Amino acid sequence: MTPLQSRLGKFLLIPQRLLNRERQQAVAHRESAIHSGLTSPFSNRLLSNLITLVLVVLAGGFLAAALVRYSPGFDSIPEDLNPAISAETLRALHQQHDRENVLPVFYARYLAGAIRGDFGFSQNLKQPVTELLRQRIPVTARLIFWGTVGGWLLGGALAWMAVWTRRTGLEAAAFSISGFFLAIPPAVLALAFFFYQAPLAPALSLALLPRIFGTLRVLLEDCYSSPALLAARSRGVGPFVIMARYVVFAITPQLIALFGAGLMLAFGLAIPIEALCGVPGLGALALEGAVSRDMPLLCGMALIVTLLVTLVHAVGDVSTGFAGEHA
Amino acid sequence: MRRALRRAAACVLILVGLCALLATAIAPYDYSRQFRETPNAPASHRFPMGTDDLGRDRFSRLLYATRVSVVLAPAAALVSILIALFFSAAAGLRKQWANQALSGITTLSLSLPWMFLFIILRAVLPLNTRPLASILVTFGLMGVAGWGWPARIFTASISQVMHSGWLLQARAAGISPWRIACIQIWPHLRAIAIAQFRVLIPAYILSEASLGLLGLGVAEPLPSWGNLLAELQHPDRIHDNPWILAPLALLMLVMISLESLHPTTFLHTTREVAV
Repeated sequence: MTPLQSRLGKFLLIPQRLLNRERQQAVAHRESAIHSGLTSPFSNRLLSNLITLVLVVLAGGFLAAALVRYSPGFDSIPEDLNPAISAETLRALHQQHDRENVLPVFYARYLAGAIRGDFGFSQNLKQPVTELLRQRIPVTARLIFWGTVGGWLLGGALAWMAVWTRRTGLEAAAFSISGFFLAIPPAVLALAFFFYQAPLAPALSLALLPRIFGTLRVLLEDCYSSPALLAARSRGVGPFVIMARYVVFAITPQLIALFGAGLMLAFGLAIPIEALCGVPGLGALALEGAVSRDMPLLCGMALIVTLLVTLVHAVGDVSTGFAGEHA
Repeated sequence: MRRALRRAAACVLILVGLCALLATAIAPYDYSRQFRETPNAPASHRFPMGTDDLGRDRFSRLLYATRVSVVLAPAAALVSILIALFFSAAAGLRKQWANQALSGITTLSLSLPWMFLFIILRAVLPLNTRPLASILVTFGLMGVAGWGWPARIFTASISQVMHSGWLLQARAAGISPWRIACIQIWPHLRAIAIAQFRVLIPAYILSEASLGLLGLGVAEPLPSWGNLLAELQHPDRIHDNPWILAPLALLMLVMISLESLHPTTFLHTTREVAV
């Protein structure tokens, strides 16, 4: 139980035995979590996330370098097209090309370039991958931002409606709406919006809705069924006061974690939406790269995307730990 | 009410499953047979759902597509569960470092969005992939790539079981690790494995649909729900032949039925792993 909840309990004149019971439960829960290794000090969390980030760069870089190195056409050299060069000279040039591009050497060179921000050159679009990413990332970021805002508003409203009202009909309606959108492939949703010339962010919001609703509903249900809140409700405290002064603070760590997971999910959902509806973002770029087998582009994108996703995950994890320790 | 809903959902799933398994017997034509004199034909006695732009019978293609999607999604889910169980058991029964290594690998594999991973892996494969190979590749990749999420849950459960008193007693009695895994730990994991299996099936069905819409799923002429949905990219045809929406309706019916069987577990995790 947080100091704020304790103060709120006194403010709401909640019986002391209820507060004590909640406090004991919170202490027992925290102790069991520490013993089972579920929580760790903030510095440990930070360190483990940093290690993960470094490992992602090394492993992702290796995979990307290996895919580029062994992609079709990598072994060909410009001299192959020159009929004036003899077969022996060509063989010698190929041997030299192979020696210079042995996987470990190629990996080291690729990684050094990636650290400097050079992810190679797109074979299909004839532009540096970094430049392409710089052009496309803002488009995807805008779609993800508005889609996530809408998803949270819709999912949050639906979850609150299902939990607060405690009416079976409304709860069933919330489940049905969420289930309906879960059953439709996000790409089909996007196509429907696209053909009616509507903005695509709401399609992403509707695709995100079930995930946000599912987790928020469970969190809110746990929170609203606590004795302190039941007592507050029975004393006639308004829903918005309870939400603002109790619920939001109580579930902050979980909300941060859900926000991070929601962002990653939104990115995954944005790829088919962009690719199908011709939005010039990362999704369309990835599909162009796949269709034209542009391995430097795909691998550069994969490395950047993995890094961004891991970074979002790490920030979410560290913030969750920080919020949890200060709760 | 809930029980009735579950029964209805189970009936729908059994019916769809039977149609999928008996597709060869029920379908009036082969999925690739072309009636070139009647492309884009409306629904009739001869073609119950009309024909597509290559003159192929939509009804027959939908039945075969159902077989591909409904039979292979559980197969891919089973592959994921088996891989996850193997690695989790191997890590959980060994030293702490193995557990940490597995945790790191699952974190890495979960860092990359699925759709992105599929796009890259499909791009590596040859352009002229045969239909049967494309099925194996699509669902095989799902099975192999989707082990991270269940592995994380299995590892947490195994770790919890490994710290229990009764297991310590079993180890002190000298029972071998694999015997402990099979006789002592598996009964605890079975329920989780079944729940994860149920969650992965709709996730894979949705993923295949998204891949098929992008043209990266099962290759033509073999039908799947994904590549049949690709016709929705021409909405002007829906007015002439609404049966184009039949694959979407069937997909939604199956998804809602799966959802009705296990509403809470489904909502929690399906969207987590599907795109």
